[in-house]
Amino acid sequence: MNRRNMLKSMVGLSPENMSAAPAPRPMNVGLEPFSGTWTKAHAAHLLRRAMYGPNLQQINTAFEEGLELTLDQLLADPGLPAPPVNLVMEEDPNVPIGSTWVEAPYTWGGNDVVQYRVRSLRSWFMEKGSMEGVSIVHKLVIFWHNHFVVSDVDDPKFGYNYLKTLHLNALGNFRDFVKAITVDPAMLRYLNGNQNTKNAPNENYARELLELFTIGKGPLVAPGDYTNYTEYDIAEISKILTGWRDQGFYTDNPDQAVESVFQGWRHDTTTKTLSEKFNNAVLSNNWDQEYSDLIDIIFEQEEVSRFICRKLYRYFVYYLIDSDVEQNVIEPMAQILRDNDYNIVPALRALLSSEHFYDDLNKGVMIKNPMDFIYSAMKGLKINFSDDAIQRYSFNLQFSYVLEPLEMVPFYMPSVAGWPAYYQEPSYYRIWINSVTLPLRQNITDGVAWSGFNVGGFINEIDALQLVNDLEDPYYPDKVIEEFALLLFPNGVTENQVEFLKDALIFGLPDFEWTTEYANYIANPSDQALANAVGIKVKNLLATMMKLSEFYLS
Amino acid sequence: MKRRKFLRNTTAALIGLPAALNGMSLSPIRKSALLDALNPDSDRVLVLIQMIGGNDGLNMIIPLDYYDKLYNVRQNVIIPESNLEHFDHDLAFHPSMKGIRTMFDDAKLNVIQGVGYPNQNRSHFRSTDIWTSGSPAEEDWSTGWLGRYLNEDHAEFPTNYPNNDFPDPLAVVIGNSISLTCQGEVGNYSLPLTDPFNLGQLASGGDDFIPDNLYGDQLDFVRTTIEQTNAYSERITEVANQGTNTVSYPDTGLAQQLKTIALLLAGGSKTRIFVASIGGFDTHANQVQSGDPMLGEHTELLTKLSGAISAFQKDLEGLGIDDRVVGMTFSEFGRRIKSNNSDGTDHGSAAPLMVFGKCVIPGVIGDNAEIPDEVGTQDGVAMQFDFRDIYGSVLEDWFEVDKEIVKDLLHADYTRINFLNPCLDPIPTDTDNPLEEALQVNLFPNPAHHYVNVHFESERERVAVTLFNSEGRLMETFMDKNLQAGRHEMRFDISRYPSGNYFIRVVCSGLRQTSRVFAKF
Repeated sequence: MNRRNMLKSMVGLSPENMSAAPAPRPMNVGLEPFSGTWTKAHAAHLLRRAMYGPNLQQINTAFEEGLELTLDQLLADPGLPAPPVNLVMEEDPNVPIGSTWVEAPYTWGGNDVVQYRVRSLRSWFMEKGSMEGVSIVHKLVIFWHNHFVVSDVDDPKFGYNYLKTLHLNALGNFRDFVKAITVDPAMLRYLNGNQNTKNAPNENYARELLELFTIGKGPLVAPGDYTNYTEYDIAEISKILTGWRDQGFYTDNPDQAVESVFQGWRHDTTTKTLSEKFNNAVLSNNWDQEYSDLIDIIFEQEEVSRFICRKLYRYFVYYLIDSDVEQNVIEPMAQILRDNDYNIVPALRALLSSEHFYDDLNKGVMIKNPMDFIYSAMKGLKINFSDDAIQRYSFNLQFSYVLEPLEMVPFYMPSVAGWPAYYQEPSYYRIWINSVTLPLRQNITDGVAWSGFNVGGFINEIDALQLVNDLEDPYYPDKVIEEFALLLFPNGVTENQVEFLKDALIFGLPDFEWTTEYANYIANPSDQALANAVGIKVKNLLATMMKLSEFYLS
Repeated sequence: MKRRKFLRNTTAALIGLPAALNGMSLSPIRKSALLDALNPDSDRVLVLIQMIGGNDGLNMIIPLDYYDKLYNVRQNVIIPESNLEHFDHDLAFHPSMKGIRTMFDDAKLNVIQGVGYPNQNRSHFRSTDIWTSGSPAEEDWSTGWLGRYLNEDHAEFPTNYPNNDFPDPLAVVIGNSISLTCQGEVGNYSLPLTDPFNLGQLASGGDDFIPDNLYGDQLDFVRTTIEQTNAYSERITEVANQGTNTVSYPDTGLAQQLKTIALLLAGGSKTRIFVASIGGFDTHANQVQSGDPMLGEHTELLTKLSGAISAFQKDLEGLGIDDRVVGMTFSEFGRRIKSNNSDGTDHGSAAPLMVFGKCVIPGVIGDNAEIPDEVGTQDGVAMQFDFRDIYGSVLEDWFEVDKEIVKDLLHADYTRINFLNPCLDPIPTDTDNPLEEALQVNLFPNPAHHYVNVHFESERERVAVTLFNSEGRLMETFMDKNLQAGRHEMRFDISRYPSGNYFIRVVCSGLRQTSRVFAKF
């Protein structure tokens, strides 16, 4: 195969189908296990989709170890990360520097003594992603955050507690997860479950429990009837969920933890009956276990398994779910979920190891969300992080601020439905990309490639020379570009693009000049002038590559 | 239905145009049914203001005739009656809306009550989709109502845009995301914009062929967006540099958005659709401060809304472009009649919608929200007007889209609602002929409440006094009889008509005079 043919086949193109009229998405393959030849392109696709910012070494390792071992690593549960600690606030009498604040009471000694914890949590959360290796966990926690949205609950102790719930259940059992989140103190505040009482039911949580968290809303088939549930169910479920309160919000009481409590006198003790959608289930009063009874009843509906599988599919594969995908991917995946009593990992593993997942049709069809985009630039090119915890804290805090104008800020969701890119027809992922966000994204990749980010006295930057030295064949411009394309682009580069990118690397000189210059630098590694000459060319190549539209896709 | 029926019912009962008004241009000059949906010479602008979260219409525009019943079911959130100032037929604005109130008094505001759609969906995102797409509740449409309108003449967008005829974005959203109202068949017509002075030029180049598959579709989208951003950015900055604002705006998000819109218009932008937004209306809890309904989140939101809109209107007037711009609010739903125990209100149904600008027919359309004796927990405000009829009326009356096209774009049963008078006064308010001053007509008070006094002079002759609405339709003949010579002082009851502009015409032998009066209840 000459190089031209190879490049074409990388994008699934042959001269024949290049000229074919746009066709509806053909369904090549379903959820059956991937049986093709495992290539670097497959490994790169898996890591790009299942984790944040894989680098070339990780891709090569995944290629060498194969699909199963890589999935073992991706899906391993690392347990709860160490909690955030006070790094900078000397005036908090309850939290010495170096200790965690997540269970410490507040002291009202000025706003900053409280607010530093907000910044600490934000930075800590970003750092989990920045420092993570080959693991699905951070990406999955963000998935769950987008699923069980909690937003604008200011007290960072509540925020941490909520993140803990997400972490503990991210790779666990979906039914247990719904139970945990239903009485999570932050969720009780966010969707007003803490104000839901027998005398004045507040239906906010009940509605979202059905519509967004478990079974989903079907078509409106009659007034108040959303196919999968009815307005009547929402009213009854509101009663079932009465009596829960959160405690410890911004408390200065050292004996008061962040927790949920059940107050029986606020609970509606009448017998509740659900609609025929739930087989007219009758729930007699069961006090603080009634919510659990309810969730068991909701989970008897198979639609719950399909609903969550569709959401996982939109997050990891592609937004469009047509009848073929529904039948050949969602349905069998939901079956696996049910067969495993709603444990998440087997179904997720089946998806990530399916023929469908590796189908050419699903490569490069996802627009990277802002976090994915930034991590893929920073971590993909192995930007360095300080060993100093405070400098790392400052950097990751800045990182979280950068996300704001890009419209993806953890804990500050646009609505209870999460980020519109994962549900809003017809644009879906395209919502991330527009005239405001594009220049901001380009500033970020330029910063990664060129100057790095000087935060708190430490320059977080890439080592361009090391990146090129680590390539399998750094001596030939075509090879350099192809290897970086494997890292940065979902479907490689075309021949014309190789020529264009070569200009960015060697500025119109013949190829052998790169070979000569690079060999010269390798032979004289201590010659700073030579090193700089090579480094600048690599940086220019990487900056140019990250400006191409291909880099925006995964 | 009490005092006023649906406007469409009222309209149906009206008689045709009177011969007494012959020779005058009685209706706005409407273009014939051209193929173009867009009048290329028009410079009219629509500013949409999305109130995200579902606004509690019952606390924004409060029906005083039902105050007691409302009080019974929303005691914890309702504004105390002593703080409510009546502005029209038994209605009061939330006391924080002083700027809006002044605009109403100045005849620059129309309030349409009970706007919604049949089979109200109470999900935020589904109902937002319905409002932005203009679909029926039962159907899922992927295009936006303004996107379909723009698609009529810009089907090939974004290919070859911008161009000499359309140098500016066809629609601009002030914010970081496109607006679903502007979603077309292929792309979205809206360009998001936060800072018009800082739209960077993006690198481009290195683009090769687009593969013919889903990957190619996404690649093409990103590339096209980069090209578009580059193509528009220079022009937008140039326009912004040429513009200037004439008033200072409050330091709120919405006000700053509207300020940018005014700036672009002042600088010569030919964009005709702008979308601004204000979030936070999902007031399940703490809509009001516990124990003091005068304070709290909803008060803050309405303060921002009112301050922003009134500053914008003043700016448009200062810039002399107020006859080119109308604004319209919308929200995905209203809230329940009954409040909850969290000092808040849950997702409801219909709510009032506001249209503002020099060219609105001022007043209130529709009945006050009816509050039954027994209010169920689930009850929302009943719908009187389908939101698509409002959209359609904007398209027909403001953007001069042919009625049949409007039906295609929205729904077959589209019925026009009369709230826009594109600043082409159908009836001149000055004298009809040089001799008219002989009649010495004097109307007062103006604005009139309930009654209008008409004073005039006549010979011993037959005199007719008639009332016309702003469309030029005869509403009522107050008087038609022989009078003695001299000055006459008469008083007519107009309280059964909607608030708005009216014309009172005094006709005697050879003389006639038409005078404008603004009725306000």
